[in-house]
Amino acid sequence: MFSSDGREAMTLAITDVTKKYKIRTTGAQVNALNGVTIVLPAKQTLGIVGESGCGKSTLARMITGLEQPTTGTVTWNDAEIFDKAKNMLSSKHSKIQLVFQDPYSSLNPRQKIGEAIAEVLTVHKLVEKSAIPSRIDELLTEVGISPDLAHRYPHQLSGGQRQRVSIARALASQPDLLVLDEPVSALDVSVRAEVMNLLIDLRERLGLTYIFISHDLSMIRHISDQIAVMYLGRIVESGSWDAVLENPRHPYTRALIAAMPDHTLVGNDLYEEPLKGEVPDPAAMPTGCSFHLRCPIAVPSCSVNIQNLREVEENHLIACQEVK
Amino acid sequence: MSTPVKEKTWFSYYLKSISGVIGGILVLVMFTISILSALGITPHDPLIQDPVNALQGPSAQYWFGTDQFGRDILSRCMDGMRRSMLVSVVAVSIATFVGVLLGIVGGYFGKVLDGFVVRFSDVIFAFPAILLALAIVNSLGNSWIDTSLAIAVVYTPIFIRVARGPVLTVKEMDYVKAVRILGFSTPKVLFSHILPNVLPPIVIQVALSMSWAILTESGLSFLGLGTQPPDASLGLMVSEAQSLAAFAWWTLAFPSLFITIAVVGLNLVGDGLRDSLDPARRSS
Amino acid sequence: MSSPLIKVSNLTVSTSDDNRTLVNSVSFEIAPGEAVGVVGESGSGKTLTALSLLGLLPRGVQATEGSISYDGKDLLHTDGETLRSIRGNKIAMIYQDPMTALNPVMRLGAQLIEVIESHEGQSGDATERVLTAFSDVGIPDPKRAYESYPHEFSGGMRQRVMIAMALLLSPELLIADEPTTALDVTIQQQILALVMHERRKRNMSMLWITHDLGVVANLVDRVVVMYAGRIVEVGSVKDVFTNPQHPYTAGLLASLPKASDKNRTRLVSIPGIPPKPWTVGESCAFSARCTRADDQCRTTLPILRDNSSTQAACFHLMGEKQ
Repeated sequence: MFSSDGREAMTLAITDVTKKYKIRTTGAQVNALNGVTIVLPAKQTLGIVGESGCGKSTLARMITGLEQPTTGTVTWNDAEIFDKAKNMLSSKHSKIQLVFQDPYSSLNPRQKIGEAIAEVLTVHKLVEKSAIPSRIDELLTEVGISPDLAHRYPHQLSGGQRQRVSIARALASQPDLLVLDEPVSALDVSVRAEVMNLLIDLRERLGLTYIFISHDLSMIRHISDQIAVMYLGRIVESGSWDAVLENPRHPYTRALIAAMPDHTLVGNDLYEEPLKGEVPDPAAMPTGCSFHLRCPIAVPSCSVNIQNLREVEENHLIACQEVK
Repeated sequence: MSTPVKEKTWFSYYLKSISGVIGGILVLVMFTISILSALGITPHDPLIQDPVNALQGPSAQYWFGTDQFGRDILSRCMDGMRRSMLVSVVAVSIATFVGVLLGIVGGYFGKVLDGFVVRFSDVIFAFPAILLALAIVNSLGNSWIDTSLAIAVVYTPIFIRVARGPVLTVKEMDYVKAVRILGFSTPKVLFSHILPNVLPPIVIQVALSMSWAILTESGLSFLGLGTQPPDASLGLMVSEAQSLAAFAWWTLAFPSLFITIAVVGLNLVGDGLRDSLDPARRSS
Repeated sequence: MSSPLIKVSNLTVSTSDDNRTLVNSVSFEIAPGEAVGVVGESGSGKTLTALSLLGLLPRGVQATEGSISYDGKDLLHTDGETLRSIRGNKIAMIYQDPMTALNPVMRLGAQLIEVIESHEGQSGDATERVLTAFSDVGIPDPKRAYESYPHEFSGGMRQRVMIAMALLLSPELLIADEPTTALDVTIQQQILALVMHERRKRNMSMLWITHDLGVVANLVDRVVVMYAGRIVEVGSVKDVFTNPQHPYTAGLLASLPKASDKNRTRLVSIPGIPPKPWTVGESCAFSARCTRADDQCRTTLPILRDNSSTQAACFHLMGEKQ
C-alpha cells in the first residue's frame, strides 16, 4: 500500500476492485479491472499511466461514480461512492469531480459558459442567488479566464480556454478530489504548459487531491507524487514518482519508458528493440501474468502464476516474480 | 465585449436559404388565410348556395368561380385550408409531444424501456400511413379531432425515431457525463442538457410532418372520410371536382393549388430549417 | 551536391471561395534518401502542405501560387493522369487513420493487388509480392491476412497494412501524416522501428508530419517548423532541437517537461494561442506571443535567413542579444 500519514480523514480507498462486462453481441466477457487496490491520502497526486485496455478510464469512471465495481469497493471518506441501496450516486460524489480529455465535447454547446457554472452553483445551493454572478467571476478568474467571456458559447473559445472552463465548472462544486483524464492530450503543444501550471497552482491553493491519468509519461512525471502503472486491469508497478521512473523494475514499465519519445535525446536510435506483441485484449486475457506473452524475461511459470504487488523497496511495489 | 446571442445567428442563416424564405412566405400566407377563415372573414359564406350562378368561372364577384351548388370556391378553399391547418397543427403537436417524450426516455434509459419504445414504433411503422389513418378514422369518427388523432398516431413513430437517435449519441457526450457527476437529477439532465442538443432534427421534422399531415388529411377527405359535406375541405373539393373538371377547370385547379402551396411551403420551410440549424450545411 | 528529389517553392494554399490563406509561401526541399520532419500545431498548415505534394487538397482549398518540382515536372500544374501514375507508385502516403486508405468491404490481399494492377497492369507474381510485403511489415500470418478484412485487425496491424500498401511499388518518397498519433506508445515504437528499417533498406526519402517533437527527434534528418502557415525555422534535427534560434521553436521546446529535470521546475509556457494564418498580415505571426517582439516584428515580415545554427525567420534570434 501507499503510505498514508494518519490523514485518514480524507482518503480515497479502492479495495480489490474488479469490473467485468459482458459484450451483448458476442457473449465475450471483458475484464476491464482485475483486482485494483489503491489508498490515496488527501492532497497527494496519483499519476496513472497505461495503454489501451489497461483499465485506467474504467477506474476513472468508477471513482466518479459513473460505474460501479463488479466486486470490491470504492470509498471516499469511508463512504461508498455509489449507493447500491438507492441505485444512485450518493451525495458525497460531488466532492469528486472529473475533467475530461476532449475540450470539444465536455461543455454543452448550447449553454453559455457562465450559465454552465451558474447551474452547478444553483443545483448544489452553494451560494446565495445574489452572489452567483460574483462567484462565477471568481471561478473564471481562478482558472485564468477573463470574466467577460462568461457570455460566450463554447465554440467561441479555444481548446485551452474550454479546458479551463471545464476545470472551473469542476471546481464550482468545491470538490476535494479531481480526476483528470488526459486533461492536456487534446490541446496544442504550446498550450499544454499553461494548463499544467494552472493545475499545479490550483492544487497548492485549494489543497486538492488529484488522480492524473495519461499515456504521456513526461506529464505524469511532472505532476505526480505517486505513480501507478497499469496493464490489463491490474497495477503492475507503483510507488513514488522518482522510484518508479528513475528505477523502474517491472519489465512493462521499462518497456514503456523506453518507448516514450523524448525530444531531448536527439538522433539516438530508440527504435532498435521495440516491445513485441499486440495491444492486449481485455476480452481475451492471457493466463497467469497478463504480460507474459510480451515479456522479455518471462519464464514458463509466468504463464501460470498470477502476479501480485509486493514491495521491493520503501514505497515501491511491483507485480513480477522474476525481479528480485 | 459580449458577442451576439446565438438565436439571431440562426435566423440570419435561415434568411440566406432561398427555399426557406419562399417556404416561409407561402406558409405565412396559408396561416393568414386560415386565421381569416377562422374569424369568418371570407368573401362569401362557404356554405351559402347560389344555384343561379353555379359552375361559373372566375369573375369579379366570385374570384375563384363557383362550384356545382353555386358556392364561392375561394371562400371554400379558405375554409378548407383552415381545417387542414388545424388538423395538421393539432396532429403534429400530439405526435411531437408523445414521440419526442418516448424517444428521449427510451434512448436515455435503454434496456427494457427502450425495447418497448422501439417495438411500439415498429408496429405502427409496419402499416402504410394512409391505410392506418383510414382504419383509425373509420373506427373513431369523422370529426376533426378524430382525424387529428389518427394522423397523430401515424406520425408518432417518426418523432420517436428522430428524437431517439440523437439522444443515443448525446447521452455519451462528456458534457452529459459531467453533469451526472455533478449530481444533477435525471429530469434536469434530460431537459436542460439532452433535449436542447437534439432539438434541430425535431424542429425540421415538425415542418416536414405538418406538410405530410396536410396531404394525409386531404387524402382522407378525398376518400370520403374526415370532413363531411356540406363542410368545405380541400380533399373533398378535389374529389367532387373529378367529374366537373373537364368543363369547369376552376373547381379542380384552386383546391389543388391550395393543397400544393401548403405542402410545398412547409417542405421548403423544412429545407430552410435544415440549412440553418445543421452546422455542417451552413455556408460559413 | 546532388539535386533534390522534390523541391517546393513558394507554395501558397488558400480557400477557394473567400481566398483565406492557409499556407503562405512555403519553400523547402527533400534530397534523395533524406527524411524531413514538419512540425507544427493545429492551423500551422503542415497537413495541407503535405497534401499539396500529391494534389490531394480537399474541396474548397487550392494551391494559388508556387511550384512543386519533381522528376522534371511541376506537380501543381500537372494533369490528373500523370499525378495518378505518381501516387502510390513514386510518391506514397500514409495517414493517421488507416481506414482512410483501406476499403472496409474488400479483403486486404485484393486491395494491395489492386494497387499493383492499377500501375502495372495484370502481373503474374502480384500475389507473391503482396504476401512478401505483409511479412516485411511484420504481419504474423500473411496468408490469413490476405483473406481478411480490415475490421478483423487491430489498429497497429492496420497501420502495418497501410504501410505495406504504401511501400508496395517502392516509392521514392513516403509522406506520413501523423500515422502514429492515435496508437499506443509501445505500438508506435514498433511502427516507427518498422518505418526506419524500411527507409534504410530502400534509401527512401520521407516527409513526416507531426506535432510530436519527441517522435521527430529520433526519426528524421532535418526539421521544418511551421507556424500560422509559414516556415519559421529549418535545420538539422540536432541544431533545431539543441540550439533553436526562433523564439517559437525555443518556447515550444522549453514548455515540455524534461526527463532530466530532477527538480520538476515550473514549465515555461507561451501565452496565447496560434493565430489563424489569414488574419496575420505582413508581420511576424508569432509577435503577439513573443517576449522579444518589437515594432519591427509587428509591421515587417521576417524572412528565413541563415544563422549560426539553423535558418530562421526572425528579427531577434535567440542567439543574438536582445
